Amino acid sequence: MDKKVAVYICRGCDIGDSLDIDALTSVAQENEAEICREHDCLCGDEGCELIKKDVQEGANALVVAACTPRFKTDTFTFDGCRTERVNLREQVVWSHEPNDEDTQMMAEDYLRMGLARAKKADLPEPFDEEINETILVVGGGLTGMAAAIDAAGAGHDIVIVEKEPQLGGWAGKFSKTFPHKPPYREPEPIPIKERIAQVEGNDRITVHTGATIEKISGQPGQFDVTLKTNGSNPEFRVGAIVQATGWRPYDASRLGYLGYGKSANVITNVQMEEMIAAGEIKLPGNGKKARRIAFIQCAGSRDEDHLPYCSTVCCRVTIKQALIAREMNPDTEAYVLYKDIRTPGQYEDFYRRAQEDAGIFFTKGDVTGVEVVGDSLQVEAENTLLGEKIKVEADLVVLATGLVPNSADGEAIRKYDDATSVIAKGEAGAQLEAAKVTVEELKHLEGSSILNLEYRQGPDLPQLKYEFPDSHFICFPYESRRTGIYTAGCVRIPNDSQASQEDGAGAALKAIQTLRTAKQGQAVHPRWGDQSFPDFALQRCTQCKRCTEECPFGTLNEDVKGTPLPNPTRCRRCGICMGACPERIISFADYSVNIISSMIKAVEIPDEFEEKPRLLGLLCENDAYPSLDTAGLKRIRHSAYIRFIPVRCLGSVNTVWIADALSRGYDGILLIGCKSGTDYQCHFITGSELMEKRSENIQEKLKQLALEEERVQLVQMPITDYEKLPQVINEFAEQIEEMGMNPFKGF
Amino acid sequence: MSQALLLKPDRKFVEDIVKSGGGDLKKCYQCATCSVVCELSTETAPFPRKEMIWAQWGLKDRLITDPDIWRCHQCNDCSIRCPRGARPGDVLAAVRQKSIEHHAFPSFLARAVNQVKFYPLLLVMVPALLLTLALVLRGPVEAILPFQEHGDAFYAGVFPHWLLIGFYSPFTTISFLGLLVGLARFWRGMAAADKEQGREPVLGVIPSVIRIVTSTLVHDRFAKCTDKAGRRLSHLMAFYGFNVLFIVTVWATIDIYLMPLLGVDSLYPFDLVHPMKILGNVGGVLLIAGAILALRDRLTDNSESGFSTSFDWTFVWLLLLVGITGFATEVFRFIVDPAQRTALEYAAYTFYFVHLVIVFSLLVYLPYSKFAHIFYRTVALVYAEHTGRTQEAGRAELKAAPEPKMISSS
Repeated sequence: MDKKVAVYICRGCDIGDSLDIDALTSVAQENEAEICREHDCLCGDEGCELIKKDVQEGANALVVAACTPRFKTDTFTFDGCRTERVNLREQVVWSHEPNDEDTQMMAEDYLRMGLARAKKADLPEPFDEEINETILVVGGGLTGMAAAIDAAGAGHDIVIVEKEPQLGGWAGKFSKTFPHKPPYREPEPIPIKERIAQVEGNDRITVHTGATIEKISGQPGQFDVTLKTNGSNPEFRVGAIVQATGWRPYDASRLGYLGYGKSANVITNVQMEEMIAAGEIKLPGNGKKARRIAFIQCAGSRDEDHLPYCSTVCCRVTIKQALIAREMNPDTEAYVLYKDIRTPGQYEDFYRRAQEDAGIFFTKGDVTGVEVVGDSLQVEAENTLLGEKIKVEADLVVLATGLVPNSADGEAIRKYDDATSVIAKGEAGAQLEAAKVTVEELKHLEGSSILNLEYRQGPDLPQLKYEFPDSHFICFPYESRRTGIYTAGCVRIPNDSQASQEDGAGAALKAIQTLRTAKQGQAVHPRWGDQSFPDFALQRCTQCKRCTEECPFGTLNEDVKGTPLPNPTRCRRCGICMGACPERIISFADYSVNIISSMIKAVEIPDEFEEKPRLLGLLCENDAYPSLDTAGLKRIRHSAYIRFIPVRCLGSVNTVWIADALSRGYDGILLIGCKSGTDYQCHFITGSELMEKRSENIQEKLKQLALEEERVQLVQMPITDYEKLPQVINEFAEQIEEMGMNPFKGF
Repeated sequence: MSQALLLKPDRKFVEDIVKSGGGDLKKCYQCATCSVVCELSTETAPFPRKEMIWAQWGLKDRLITDPDIWRCHQCNDCSIRCPRGARPGDVLAAVRQKSIEHHAFPSFLARAVNQVKFYPLLLVMVPALLLTLALVLRGPVEAILPFQEHGDAFYAGVFPHWLLIGFYSPFTTISFLGLLVGLARFWRGMAAADKEQGREPVLGVIPSVIRIVTSTLVHDRFAKCTDKAGRRLSHLMAFYGFNVLFIVTVWATIDIYLMPLLGVDSLYPFDLVHPMKILGNVGGVLLIAGAILALRDRLTDNSESGFSTSFDWTFVWLLLLVGITGFATEVFRFIVDPAQRTALEYAAYTFYFVHLVIVFSLLVYLPYSKFAHIFYRTVALVYAEHTGRTQEAGRAELKAAPEPKMISSS
């Protein structure tokens, strides 16, 4: 496509008063801009008309030097044109001394950089893949059924896969649930039959019971699923997947100190639920009626040695069971020993209801043990509010065990599979030894896969803490690291049936979003609407596998040789593969190693006698860039020696840019990204972590070049720290000034 | 302390407390707001949170021998601030009733006296019949024993003093002996519980008594209750009213029977300007005013002043009635001319009769009614003083207290 570059400089919002606009116009002309116009208010109707007219006359590579690209995005978007925004407002005039030499130099450099990019970047052309809009729901419990019904209601065909012979999950096995509607006082029946009938009567929903997943290959919009059932092995194609595989109770056999296993009369809340469903609460030991029932809350929950988290439902379940036990036999006395009663929101009324019952006794305390004394059991607790240790005698002890997600650790299974294949290949030496150790450690994972995805990075979703599948609870609920696959219900987060069903709807919506955006060739969260996707110049690929390994979303598969096999609809367009590739063969239409390099080179570097250092800032555009905008909005100043380039993610930073910058004469490079680690804030999960690793290599390089290590620094900041950001920049600038100029300047 | 306490929940006792006005007991979720807001609760022996837990679990033995329940003056500062509406103040009141009933001797009488269904029998019929019987027996007794009546023959003509003294003395003596048994049981119970807990006395009994008596005379602890400060005033009035009347009555008896023995002429019935008469009238006014204020408080602002049970109502109404009938008796004496047998005269005798019946109900049933609090509370407060419960922990002690254990917040 022939490019016709047009530059538009806005004079509004202090820009005209703070900068020499004529000088900027000259810069544009020197840099081969065919058109260069200025306007007092570019975003107004008149300004837009100005641009539109040029567009009609063939201008297609637009450079708008005005406010941050985060504002007025639609205003400056024109069909068939790529708009490059030069942020003169927030990051130049609002954050620097007006009409100052350095400020002017900065503005001119930013315009040069914008022009460099505009000349090289192309308008992305969306891929055009055939998108299947069926949604696969794995798990036919309340959550899965809710997801299915809601997604079907939104016009999608649904396939439910349930491993049990019938739908319903746990809810189908329990008789009553705690109340979900005002006045929140009495246990309610679970309308499971109605729900199943709703699913079975829905023409859009196909149900496979007694079935598991043999394999799933492909990508969002094109997942090819093979099931394993008793008879046939159906194969079909779906577009997205909701994993609602639910929970299992915590393994009570690990709770020997609470008497489990010591006496048949120590049971779990699930066993209690089954007895209630069977219609009679009797002692498993001798079949007699249970008159005194002690409930031990947080049995193995909120305990670093067992489940460190709160499962949220156990308190309400116990209250329900105590009330039902009292109703079934008014002689019953129920003793509840708790760490804290957690009955959120309106459920407090349910707790109140149980408190009113003269036969239900509550006390706070840490249960230290359960002893068998003759025919009965003695529960001992300390740290009670009575100020002393207490013992309660009971016939039946119910352990309120927590919920464990029914998930599989995709990444660990992959490690195991890789290790077994190393052994199978008959390799020798240290590799074999390491593989043997891995196999031994991970043997328990054999056959644990649920989704059986044919993904290079493992057959299931990666896990975060406590075996919950990856899902960024704080910033991006439902989001997962496998595009098009979303978890819902207790596999995602321990919750009650109502919240789980809402979760089902949430995950279904995510699945639908994926399908809609894929249909338009667009990325999903967090680069909504992005139509670019990575292009691999495979003839130069050296099969190093860094891209397939480092992609946080498992986008790339490999052929036998290790060549990446792209799956554009799995891709989130973060560019981490581009940052990883040592051969620099991966690029996007509007974002590539070459484009950014030319931006870096577009900056005019003053010679070393001018005492004006030049610093390069590579700024993550998800958090750090908006943060710097906010600082500008608050008129907080930062050093005018730095030139920022927004990057899609720090993980997309290719180290060649650093080398380019240093050889070009930059005196220092500052990389600013999101927080890495367990509670990461990186929008692409591992981007800033990868950059940390890569910067270790950079430090090595600096040493080799006899340059100070401090010339390249990596900073991780949350978006809310915008007040600190200018400070960090200024400190860095001072440090570099003290250090002196880059000796490579001018070479 | 290392030995764990085996909880044996007593549902019957829980239900008893609920029936006796502690109906919101089970709502408590043990947050301790009550103990924090209570001005009388101390670090060394905080209440009422622990009592709330004991009550929820029906730990009767602990509760009835707990002196702390008597340190509460039921101002209901705690009940007003309880986030759960568990009304600890009312629960303690109910527990106090249970404590009186438990210790009282004979205990069946305590249980009976506090049941509304037995009121007509025990509070009206029994004293009325006994009094009537005494009046019937007056003649035969006078025939045998020549009692000499002193002074005004108006009321004494019908109810001679010797008869009244002879009538009330045995009943009240028996009743007070029963009270002593109850109080002794109470003290032993408190001491036994403390022994088990390893709490040692810190102050002698005599100094403790002195402290409590002086404290009671000014109601200084009652003064700490903030939200229902008015209660202190009505209680002070009734307290002094009753005590003044008690002293005047004793003095009158001395005047009638002991003074002549010492060769001093009895001045009874006293003139209106006689110091004792003035004192008695002031006492009567205080008693009536105190009772009316207490009733008004209970009637007008039920939610804040606490739940009133028959145990409370009966006591206050009896006090008011004894005051009113007493005054009526006095007024009739001045307006009725004994020479003319008018209907007024019969009304006068009737009022006097009613007055005497109420006095019986009040005094003879004292050990079993709310009136017993005057003794149980005093004994409990003395005991609390004796065992150092009212002391605030010193700074050193507070610092030495173990850090609260953190529970994982995840």
